[in-house]
Amino acid sequence: MPREHTWRYISMAAVFALAGMLIFWRAFFIQGSAEAAEFLQQSEYYSRLLKTIYPPRGEIYDRNGHLLAGNRTVYEIGVELESVQDPEAIAFALSNMVGTDYNSVLKKINDFSTLGAIYGILDDYVLPEKIDLLRAYNVNLPREEEDSYHCSNDPALIALICRPHLARSYPERDLASNVLGFVTQDSNGNFGVEQKYQDLLAGLPEEIWVPTDPNRVQELPDVPAGASLILTIDREIQAMVEDVLDEALERTGAESATGIVMDPRTGEILAMTSTPRLDLNDYQQYVDIYDENKPYNRATGQIYEPGSIFKVVTMAGAIDLGLVTPETVFNDTGIFYYGGIAIRNWNGQAWGEQTMLGCLQNSLNVCLASVGEKLGAENFYHYVQAFGFGYPTGVDLFNEASGTLRLPGVLGEVPWTDSDLATNTFGQGLAVTPMQMVTAVTAFINDGRMVIPHIVKGVVQNGMQYNIPPQFAGTPISAETAHTLTQILADSLEFESSMALVPGYRLAGKTGTAQIPMPSGNYDPNQTNTSFVGWGPVDDPKFVVFVWLERPETSIWASEVAAPVFADIVERLVVLMDIPPDQQRQVAAEQ
Amino acid sequence: MLKRSKEFIQAYKEAPWRRQMQMIGFVASGVVALALVAAIYLNITARSATAGRLVQQFQAQRADQEQRIEDLKTQLAFILSVEQMQKRARDLGFEPVSPAAITYLSVPEYQGRPSGAELAPRAGSGFGAVAPLPAAYTDSLFDWLVALFADLGGY
Repeated sequence: MPREHTWRYISMAAVFALAGMLIFWRAFFIQGSAEAAEFLQQSEYYSRLLKTIYPPRGEIYDRNGHLLAGNRTVYEIGVELESVQDPEAIAFALSNMVGTDYNSVLKKINDFSTLGAIYGILDDYVLPEKIDLLRAYNVNLPREEEDSYHCSNDPALIALICRPHLARSYPERDLASNVLGFVTQDSNGNFGVEQKYQDLLAGLPEEIWVPTDPNRVQELPDVPAGASLILTIDREIQAMVEDVLDEALERTGAESATGIVMDPRTGEILAMTSTPRLDLNDYQQYVDIYDENKPYNRATGQIYEPGSIFKVVTMAGAIDLGLVTPETVFNDTGIFYYGGIAIRNWNGQAWGEQTMLGCLQNSLNVCLASVGEKLGAENFYHYVQAFGFGYPTGVDLFNEASGTLRLPGVLGEVPWTDSDLATNTFGQGLAVTPMQMVTAVTAFINDGRMVIPHIVKGVVQNGMQYNIPPQFAGTPISAETAHTLTQILADSLEFESSMALVPGYRLAGKTGTAQIPMPSGNYDPNQTNTSFVGWGPVDDPKFVVFVWLERPETSIWASEVAAPVFADIVERLVVLMDIPPDQQRQVAAEQ
Repeated sequence: MLKRSKEFIQAYKEAPWRRQMQMIGFVASGVVALALVAAIYLNITARSATAGRLVQQFQAQRADQEQRIEDLKTQLAFILSVEQMQKRARDLGFEPVSPAAITYLSVPEYQGRPSGAELAPRAGSGFGAVAPLPAAYTDSLFDWLVALFADLGGY
């Protein structure tokens, strides 16, 4: 290398070195500048996305594993504002295919554009059938997999995004609707099991940061689905009870019908219904169907004066204390004065000498008021409370009513008076729920022990099933009293050839015809509440059935209105529950 | 003497062109090594990015499949609902049976229909518990060596 060229190389090297140093200096300067922090923050922000993973809502099954509430795919329809070419075309397509209001779509697109939004929601919870109609707009162009969220590849509709997600769905429509409740679009349960077990069913949504850089991809956390519930309801029995009550409602012209079928040994509710019912897939009809003052589930939420059906409680107390026996004779004069009022029988007549069995069989108010006098207020209300009246039963359904019970010495809006004792003995002047009545009679079946009713049989969570055992609510009467009363109620049905009887099966039960209090304080002279509670087979009870028809038009008597409905239910129930007639069971047992 | 020693050194000294070649060789091998490292790095990075992308796709597919399973279960339940089944039974000529038309037979040791759905193993039954991973999947090399020496020491 000639020496005279050396300075040129050195100069070049110096220039490159200087340029390099300048670059390093500039890079160092930028790295430490105020903007650098902002850029770093932005790069951090765009390097990951915050994603909320909503676990699917837990399912609800009947006792045999039939799905009562599940989840199905629906679509959110959104619009990518920068791809919108023809807002009118989008509004036209949505109004024709999906049923969304044309003007509302146009307004939303305009509003989103004004706000400078990138994406906006035009409709939600759209059924797949309607999305298929939109997809029919596709032109025959190859579709990229990534474009599958586009509702259509028609250039005019390319801005529409159809994003699938899950929504609550009820395959049995209105079956057991009073028990299930429903889930609204805000994912909240309303009424019934859906509201009672909202936290368990909904699960816990989890928020995670998902890196956009595929090199930093990480395993998504396994967000556990909401717990699934197995109900005690048997959908075949439920459907049968609803059918029978619907027929009864039509036949009798009653205002409403309520029915409960329970396994008295375990407290498992096999069926529970009241009218009106609601197609749960169309829950928006709720406001039109339900009166504001009427509860969603009358079996647990509606209180009523039970009438004669309550006489079993009075009689149970008296027998339990040994004040009367089934053979104790009472001379019915047709009128009984107590606490300043006169008590009369349902037909206003004197029935002469009657045993306690006769008193219950003929449902004599005068006799029961006299029994109440023997019991005294303290004992009577002790038994009433021990049977659970005045308190919620503890059934696991939303919004259970406690009933109305005035007690001596307890101040209230309307204080207790002596006459209350007389009227309460035959079910007037107090109010109960059907569920309370059913719970009370389980004491007669379980040797004096009352069972707590429940609707959830098991919970499935994290791959394990937790079954809920029966629970008991106390022992208001002795086993002997329970057996005695059961025999009285079975005999009284047979002796009066009640319309509640079912051939081949020995049943026990009691009718209740109750006058209805009016706002004036008097009782409605023309209308009644008719109810019946019964159980069987008496030697090995498998079911308790409760029926309540409100204000029937064909007859005011429970023996003519509610008792036949009870028989209808039991006749079909023994088939569904595989319960052979008594004689065949006894023969099989002896073999 | 000095002259002779210089001649001797020069005789055994490497030729300048050879030293230049050596230098070029070192630099070239450095460049090749760097290129190799860069190529391996790029290859691994590209493969891991592809794998990462695949994982993201599978995660999305899994979410879609889970959603589809939920949807199909519900659709099946619609088809098997009480209303639909009763309609199908009626269409096939079946009708509800009355208690009087039923003949019950006594079958020794028959316990009746099992009561209650079993949708998952019962809690406390022992089923469904996750088996612990073998140590080979969780131990570090150090853990393995410690265990190995401990075993050897035991003998």
